Amino acid sequence: CQETLDLEPRGEELTAGDILKDPDSYPGLIAKVYGGLIVGGQEGGDGNADINGIDGGFSNYLRLFWYHQELSSDEALIAWNDGTIKDFQRQTWNDGNEFIRGMYSRINYQIALCNDFLRNTSEASLDSNGIPESARGLIREYREEARFLRAYSYYHGMDLFGSMPFQDENTDPNVPGQLITRAELFNFVESELLAVESTIVPARQNGYGRADQATVWMTLAKIYLNAEVYTGTARYTDVVDYTSRVINAGYSVDTNAPYTNLFLADNNSNGSQNEFIWTLNYDGQRTQTFGGTTFLTHAPVGGDMNPSNFGINGGWFGIRTTPQFVAKFPGEENSADGREQFFTNNQTKQIADESQFGQGFAIAKFKNVDVNGNQGSDATGDFVDIDFPVYRLADAYLMYAEAVVRGGGGSQAQAVNYINILRQRAYGNNGSNITASQLTLPFILDERARELFWEAHRRQDLIRFNQFTTNYTWAWKGNVQTGTTTPAFRNLYPIPAEQLNLNDNLVQNPGY
Amino acid sequence: TVTDAANNLPILGASVVVKGTSNGTATDFDGKYSLNNIPQGATLVFSYLGFATQEIEYTGQTIINAILDEDASQLDAIVLIGYGSTTKENVTAAQTTVSDDEFNTGAIVSAGQQLAGKAAGVQVVAASGSPGDGPVIRVRAGSTLSASQDPLYVVDGVPLDQGNANLNSLNPNDIESYTILKDASATAIYGNRASNGVVLITTKKGQLNSDWAVSYDAQFGVNRNFNQVDVLTADELRALATERGEDLSLLGDASTDWQNEIYQTGTTGIHNLSISKGWESTSLRLGLGQTNQAGTLIGSDYSRSTLNLALTQRALDNKLKLTYTAQGALENRGFADGGAIGSAIVFDPTRPVRSTDPNSSINGFFEFFNGGTPEVNAPANPVGLLESLDSQNDNHQIRMNLNANYKLPVDGLVFDGNAGFDYNEFDSFSIRTANSRAGFFDNGSRSFSYGLRRNTLLNGRLDYKKFLEAIDTDFEATVGSSYQDFTRETFSRNTIDGSFSDSNGDPIPLRFFPGDNRLVSFFGRLSFDIKDLIVLSGSISRDGSSRFSPEERFGTFGGASAAIKLTNLDFVQNSSFISQLKLRGGYGVTGQQEIGPDFAFIQVFTPGQLQSSIQLGDTFLPTIRPEGAQDLKWEETAQYNVGIDLGFFDDRLTGSVDAYYRETSDLLQFAPIAAGGLENFVLQNVGDTESRGLEIGVNAKLVRSENFNWNIGGNLTFNEIEITNLAGPNNNPVAVGGISGGVGNNIQEWAVGSDPSSFHVYRQVYDQNGNPLDGVFVDVNGDNVINEADRVRYKKANPDAYYGFTSNLNYKEFFMSFTLRGSAGLYNYNNVDSNSATFENIFNNPGNYYTNSTTDVLESQFTDPQLFSDYYVRKADFLKLDNATIGYTFLGDKVDIRTSITGTNLFTITDYDGLDPEVSGGIDNNLYPRSRTVVLGLGFTLK
Repeated sequence: CQETLDLEPRGEELTAGDILKDPDSYPGLIAKVYGGLIVGGQEGGDGNADINGIDGGFSNYLRLFWYHQELSSDEALIAWNDGTIKDFQRQTWNDGNEFIRGMYSRINYQIALCNDFLRNTSEASLDSNGIPESARGLIREYREEARFLRAYSYYHGMDLFGSMPFQDENTDPNVPGQLITRAELFNFVESELLAVESTIVPARQNGYGRADQATVWMTLAKIYLNAEVYTGTARYTDVVDYTSRVINAGYSVDTNAPYTNLFLADNNSNGSQNEFIWTLNYDGQRTQTFGGTTFLTHAPVGGDMNPSNFGINGGWFGIRTTPQFVAKFPGEENSADGREQFFTNNQTKQIADESQFGQGFAIAKFKNVDVNGNQGSDATGDFVDIDFPVYRLADAYLMYAEAVVRGGGGSQAQAVNYINILRQRAYGNNGSNITASQLTLPFILDERARELFWEAHRRQDLIRFNQFTTNYTWAWKGNVQTGTTTPAFRNLYPIPAEQLNLNDNLVQNPGY
Repeated sequence: TVTDAANNLPILGASVVVKGTSNGTATDFDGKYSLNNIPQGATLVFSYLGFATQEIEYTGQTIINAILDEDASQLDAIVLIGYGSTTKENVTAAQTTVSDDEFNTGAIVSAGQQLAGKAAGVQVVAASGSPGDGPVIRVRAGSTLSASQDPLYVVDGVPLDQGNANLNSLNPNDIESYTILKDASATAIYGNRASNGVVLITTKKGQLNSDWAVSYDAQFGVNRNFNQVDVLTADELRALATERGEDLSLLGDASTDWQNEIYQTGTTGIHNLSISKGWESTSLRLGLGQTNQAGTLIGSDYSRSTLNLALTQRALDNKLKLTYTAQGALENRGFADGGAIGSAIVFDPTRPVRSTDPNSSINGFFEFFNGGTPEVNAPANPVGLLESLDSQNDNHQIRMNLNANYKLPVDGLVFDGNAGFDYNEFDSFSIRTANSRAGFFDNGSRSFSYGLRRNTLLNGRLDYKKFLEAIDTDFEATVGSSYQDFTRETFSRNTIDGSFSDSNGDPIPLRFFPGDNRLVSFFGRLSFDIKDLIVLSGSISRDGSSRFSPEERFGTFGGASAAIKLTNLDFVQNSSFISQLKLRGGYGVTGQQEIGPDFAFIQVFTPGQLQSSIQLGDTFLPTIRPEGAQDLKWEETAQYNVGIDLGFFDDRLTGSVDAYYRETSDLLQFAPIAAGGLENFVLQNVGDTESRGLEIGVNAKLVRSENFNWNIGGNLTFNEIEITNLAGPNNNPVAVGGISGGVGNNIQEWAVGSDPSSFHVYRQVYDQNGNPLDGVFVDVNGDNVINEADRVRYKKANPDAYYGFTSNLNYKEFFMSFTLRGSAGLYNYNNVDSNSATFENIFNNPGNYYTNSTTDVLESQFTDPQLFSDYYVRKADFLKLDNATIGYTFLGDKVDIRTSITGTNLFTITDYDGLDPEVSGGIDNNLYPRSRTVVLGLGFTLK
């Protein structure tokens, strides 16, 4: 009667045999590895979510990452009452915060997806599943990308949490991972990136949305730029080296096109794509999530903002910005800088009540319309088409300039030139160009804010300039309206208590 | 020979008398008798305690066999147990039988409702007032955390699918009795399905040698809501807005009571016809039923037609008894948009129901607009919600069982086998018109699903019974096996943007969701009745389930129990006041395999839907998600039970007391695991719970005479459960109990040392006048920051105790009965208040509109939402008059006419200020109100 109990699933799920023996499955498998960064689950609108313990839409990688990098900074605050979400803008989070737990789970899940892909695509695995040589070329390309994507998520873990539980394709995912410290993680991420640098598809030769050599360079440049934070050892020369490779790869910033084109529904085709090094791609009909750019478009719309101008059916009355960020623009809400996107009708600059959308200037950056103002592809107005630029050339310019100023070598004239390309686009003329003497570290930090706000860089930048916790305050930081400094231990997020309970190898960050 | 119809066994000591004479005898051990000097044409009368008397005319036969049926009026003498039956006095475990003469009456639509308040240790709660919503039944408050808490239902020998029992497909009028097996020594023979108790349901059957019996009864009821959520009226909202200096231009000039607009007076009509007849070797009963209900929420309704057939045939010289039972049901359920319930609470009462202004209406209903399109975040007009949705489910169900009981040539050996089949097909659709607020953005929507569920049973057992004279012991043994297969198939399809084709014009695929699992079981039981004083019983079951990997597939469960029938000792026999005394004790180990997924142990890959494709290069690729496999095993429950059965004053007063202690281990818990795998939460065998309880049941025959009888009964249950172990080396607590307000918020927590329904909240700080201070909470850990770490576990949703009280009275043809039911020591989280009753909720909306709230805002004066404040955790003790009936039976020559009037849900005594203190799970939010019903009943019995 043992056999009587041998049943086989016969639903949509497929067994390992069905999948791994079929060469046509592998594109779907790598799509999931990318998809782990882009959507929350297997159904439109984050249904059948990958991770649990948090709402499917909230579990979206990009949305969680954005909370951690932006809500905790001077660039954004939110009105909602979703659990502990206001702890970000107040910098009062603790190790029970469900969004921090969600981020930690999401990063580790993403690493597990990469590891699983690497296991399933080893030559031995392909042999045992009878995958013909003719199909392996593409699979090997994917494999390099999966290895990059794993390093990319470990880099996020290193940046947000410091240490991580370590898993790779050779460890048993059912056994809690060993601790890998921040410094060890740095070495691991660096070595992985250096390993795939020469084996991944060359810069600008891969399909849109797929990682290539320039994506690897950009990630290397990021870890080198922040190396002093991660390891105590500065690596600015390497920043100059790797940003130069990116800059010379053929990307371009169109100084004649408005800055706002970069964040429109057609940013994959309106010229902006020439500046993009790597994007997370969204589509209103085929890539539907309540995270990603759908969140970035809906959540900041409210008050007197007309949703149809944003190509959506309604705002979510959530995100605004602080007066301190407004002050980064000369002339504030009336700045001649074309990157200033404040919406001020019926919005106060000061924020007495965090929960009132009308308090704090709104920001109109992401718009689900094309250059002609037509709404994106989802007629319901729920989901958007905007691709999210993880890395774009402007960031490489700014990183190059910063590394030059910090003594990493390179050319100061070139650095000034790069900054001025961005400013020419911002002002529509060269009247606001800077000179070499204006190229200072404080200027670069502010310029990064003006150019890259809400693109999930701010917390990392503020920490590198030692302004995230101590030294600089903004509205509601420290849970005080005028803002107050916070202890430096908050430069790292806590390891979630849940994971400390489940994995005795982990060590809580100091201060928590 | 005189035999028992139920089990084909000979009856010892039955009396056989020639009618009208003193010529008689009694049967011997083999049920045999002999009688001489019987005149031609005389009538033989066969009788035995607990059985219906039978008369057979003597026409010169040399052998006259009689088969006696259990007498329904004395049914309590014979009780069902798992895979068999025994006498009441030989029951060794905690079990309760509730028969039709004790049932709750009135417009009972769902099987199970008859039981509410009737048995200690059994909770029966109407899930909501929605027509067609069956009751939630819990036996000794289920022991699991993540697995199913439903008991196993066995209808005439067929165990129902635990994942989808659909008791509604049974007409309550066709049910003769429920036997609830509570303790593990009784349920262990059902092994891996027994942890939540077993409910044996017996349907009515015809009697052998009986006349045609025809009865028809009808009930007509009206049901109305008797309570509303207290919300601000239009004038109160205007006054509040004025007082606070809000923007009065955002208010309208109407005065609408939205709850009045969405509710109506419901109706219930029930018709039942039953016909029965018994011949010498054949009996028949046919029941037909028709039920129509319109709920109080406009658009919700339920209708059901049922057929119940029971056919018994004896053959082969009465050695073979075949019983065929079938229950068929055609159900149709209409669903109203439940969203209207919540919307009616928060929708601005200063707005009209209807409007003709195209800038503020859709299809004639007022809606909030902004710039030519509806405000996407505003609530939808509650009436518009109801009118724009057409959602129905049709279910066709047939359940049948053929039972064969064959007396084998070996003395005392009987074979009993069942071939059962429970099958239903369902077909449902939901259509939202595009010309509505809810259908506005996605151009309306349509979804369809259909499918079937099939439950196939084959089982057989051998019963052996022998009297071991040498040791004065009745010995019984049972061995058997069972095979059951469950197949479920659902097909479904939804629209995108109102269409069944996607953006490329390709049809949206029909999705297929199957479910398959299979159970096999080998079981056995031995019992000894020694010197009619000590009863020992032991059972064992070896069970396999396809839901587990081959290594974990089989488990062994068992139980043992004993009883001492002190009733049979002289000191009781001679006592003037004690008439019954029995001590019982038992221990058993049972399992739980109703874990949800059918194939958790196999690694699968789930393809992504088209809407979650990923663009790589120029193409959109549907994803394929690898998933981990979990090697699960049974949840195991060990339970001890001790009990005492008592009778006083010739059983005028009877009672039972049971105490139990239960440990559940390898608890199936959906909980987080250490990061690093393909899931962050999985079902896992971690965690233990401990529960204990005390159950007291008392019945008293206050008055017992020919014309006047008055019985009262009461039961009281104390119950507690505590988590003793959770996942992870450090017993990781798990947030549970999702609430409305924000997204993804939970209000309860599983933690070691606590009841699983404990709330997890901030401690509210109050001022000296006892008013809560907005946003001020106790800094529990004293770190000067109020955050997650300051939430504590506080109170719980599970009651400490629940109780029922029943009275049945008749005087000549007049009758009267009622059932009171209550719970104590329970708390609810009032999510209706917490999610609406703050000034921010009313006046700071994501759009140009105001919303309404409950009047609690005037009490709390909260500005900001304080979802996690213990202010919203409120005491919910209650006492309800569930049911009261008065009636009169007119006796006629040809027909008896029974008339009655019944009220249900007549009053609730509680301090709880929400709509209804009885909330499943303890989170009170948008409950479909349980209405008050008045039912007129009319019954005809042909003579």
